[in-house]
Amino acid sequence: MRNLKHLNWMIYLIAMVAIVLFLGSGKPIKIVGLFFVSGLAIGSLYALGGIGIVVLYRATGVLNFANGAAGAAGVMLAWQFADWGIWGPFTWLVAIFVALIISLVYGRLIAPLLAWREPVVKAVATLGFALIILGIVSFIWEDDPRKFALPSDKIGVYILGLRVTVTRLIAFAASICIVIGIYFYLYHTKVGLQMRSLANDRDLSALLGIPILKVETIAWGISGVIAGFTGLMFGDLIRLEPFVITFMVIPSIAAAVCGRLDNLILVLIGGLSMGVIESLLTLSQVFKGVRPIAPFVIAAVVLLWYQRGRRLTFSGTD
Amino acid sequence: MKMKTLPVALLALVVFAFTGQSHAATKCGANTGVTAKGKPIIVGGIHGNAPPGDFSASTDAAKAYFDCVNANGGIHGRPIDYRIENDQWNPELAAQAASKLVIDAGAVALVANGSFIEMAVNAGTYKKANIMSMAAACAISECFESSNIVSTNQGPLPSNLGATQYAQEELGSKNVGCIGLNIPNNGPWSCKASIDLMKARGGSGSMALLNPGAPDVNSALLEIISNGADTILMNLPAGLAIAVLKAAEEQDLRDQYVWIAPTPLYDLSVPKALGKYWDGKVFVNAELAPFQIGGPDAKNWKAVMDAYAKPEDPRDTFAQSGYLSATFFVKMMLAMNPKDIDNRAKVTQAIKNISGYRSDLMCGPYYVGDSDFHMPNHAGYMVQIINGGFKIVRECYEFDSAYFKPHIAIEKKLGLR
Repeated sequence: MRNLKHLNWMIYLIAMVAIVLFLGSGKPIKIVGLFFVSGLAIGSLYALGGIGIVVLYRATGVLNFANGAAGAAGVMLAWQFADWGIWGPFTWLVAIFVALIISLVYGRLIAPLLAWREPVVKAVATLGFALIILGIVSFIWEDDPRKFALPSDKIGVYILGLRVTVTRLIAFAASICIVIGIYFYLYHTKVGLQMRSLANDRDLSALLGIPILKVETIAWGISGVIAGFTGLMFGDLIRLEPFVITFMVIPSIAAAVCGRLDNLILVLIGGLSMGVIESLLTLSQVFKGVRPIAPFVIAAVVLLWYQRGRRLTFSGTD
Repeated sequence: MKMKTLPVALLALVVFAFTGQSHAATKCGANTGVTAKGKPIIVGGIHGNAPPGDFSASTDAAKAYFDCVNANGGIHGRPIDYRIENDQWNPELAAQAASKLVIDAGAVALVANGSFIEMAVNAGTYKKANIMSMAAACAISECFESSNIVSTNQGPLPSNLGATQYAQEELGSKNVGCIGLNIPNNGPWSCKASIDLMKARGGSGSMALLNPGAPDVNSALLEIISNGADTILMNLPAGLAIAVLKAAEEQDLRDQYVWIAPTPLYDLSVPKALGKYWDGKVFVNAELAPFQIGGPDAKNWKAVMDAYAKPEDPRDTFAQSGYLSATFFVKMMLAMNPKDIDNRAKVTQAIKNISGYRSDLMCGPYYVGDSDFHMPNHAGYMVQIINGGFKIVRECYEFDSAYFKPHIAIEKKLGLR
């Protein structure tokens, strides 16, 4: 088993090096470096989104398509408050609070009604919820040029020739910190143990007396806070358009699939790899047209690779 | 934006109710002050309004003008029944909308259409049905290269050319990098014209294409920079262009390049959204008269919008072009024999006969003609984003490109030159 893991890592490293060399061939190293760092920057956002999705999926079995919409609602309200001149840190907290409330409303009121349905039904229900949130947000804030900026945008450091703002570094660091934090929470706390138990077998967990509603509410809460933070990052680093932020959940799910909706470290690596490959594809006249589908092709390849004779990702019990 | 405009609208309503003050004087159609009666003349309008974009400003403004016309004698005493459909950026819905208006309702013409989708889907339908679309918010090639569509707005190609020409002549640009949408009849089509212009003038150019929902705009920016561009042309909707400028701001690229854009960045919300960093550094082509130009039509447009449009309806370039299309349509209909105004074939012919209509909102004359292409508006203004607003840096100027040779030939034939 350990040999198989090592083999997977070896194949991954060789594939990444080969891709970087192939796409960067004939280009100055400085240019390749610029695109590489730029890709890491966007990849960290895919990873951040993916981590939020996996955290909830592991505890509740719900693949939440509404994460992006909750983040979009939060950051739009933060922008509105900032536009009215309200103190910046308060607006950021508002963004996180709004996403938390949206997540909890779904987690407490709607999700329990679907608790015994198929995972696909649960996922589609969250997509419907996402579209409702998006509709409300689009109704309140009509299409208009806007920009959401954080003070950390003003400070930057140069990495391989590319100026990277502190906001991007925060997004990157947050991805790693959330992975570490969630790992310790799941493996070193009682609620974490209960979450893992729920994810493993909800029926059995209920029989064992695990307070399902309480544990799931905590999971939805954590997911909401991550969604709020992710929304702030997307609003600042991608653009302040609710539609775009809402559907960032799609490449984020591709990153989550790279970790088989289970392994947060793989989600992080998958997201970063997607960003880098997508960015480096720009260097190829032949392949730059396929950039938008790159995350999904990568996710499909990873899925096929891992599914060799193993359990199905979406059923979890095969 | 609703949260901003709602209190303002309520306040305006209260003030209006208590003071009894009327709106600024409007001038619409026959301007008789008598409400039109009788059998309505059916006119259609199709816009796209769904995330990620709202192109309804043109039909909003046309509706406001038609309402004003109906309150002022209509068309030979008869009201205009203006029916608006939303294609929601869906080709199937766009085809259904055209079918509903052109075949089921029997509209005599379409006015102020605005969409990314509708024109590509329905150009053939309009030709087959022998109906003219006097569009107002066009963004794709089919809108300008079809027999039965003519628009008052320029679309990206001329507006790009205007910005590129100004940068080459005034800002020392030698290599223009155009970042456009990865939509064949929009981005590549309109970027290519600017690259050709630079090549014709001894310079060079390249393009990088972005998907409308692309999260990573920085790669397109880096691609253009790695191509050796000294000037960045942001041929994008305002939201994406702001994202590109934000990515450039992150990397502190402002002073190393010239930053230009076509009309979408000519929006009163843009200077505030960009912030002080970009003050005085971004140059934008305006395809219709900038808002500070207060000619008779510009004043009437504002008065009509205040009197007949909703407070939250945008007062932007598309609203100007929608108003213009509606005024030209009404002028043409009033000049027709009243017996013919229900006859679609005769209305279509009358629209094709339009020549030499002028407005202070447009730099050149408006005409239609009987050809497979229409682009009457190919001159404009150049403005600079400065002090939280826009400053005119070049008054009306005609755009120089081989693309306009056939258009200029028609203008000569019509005696407009």
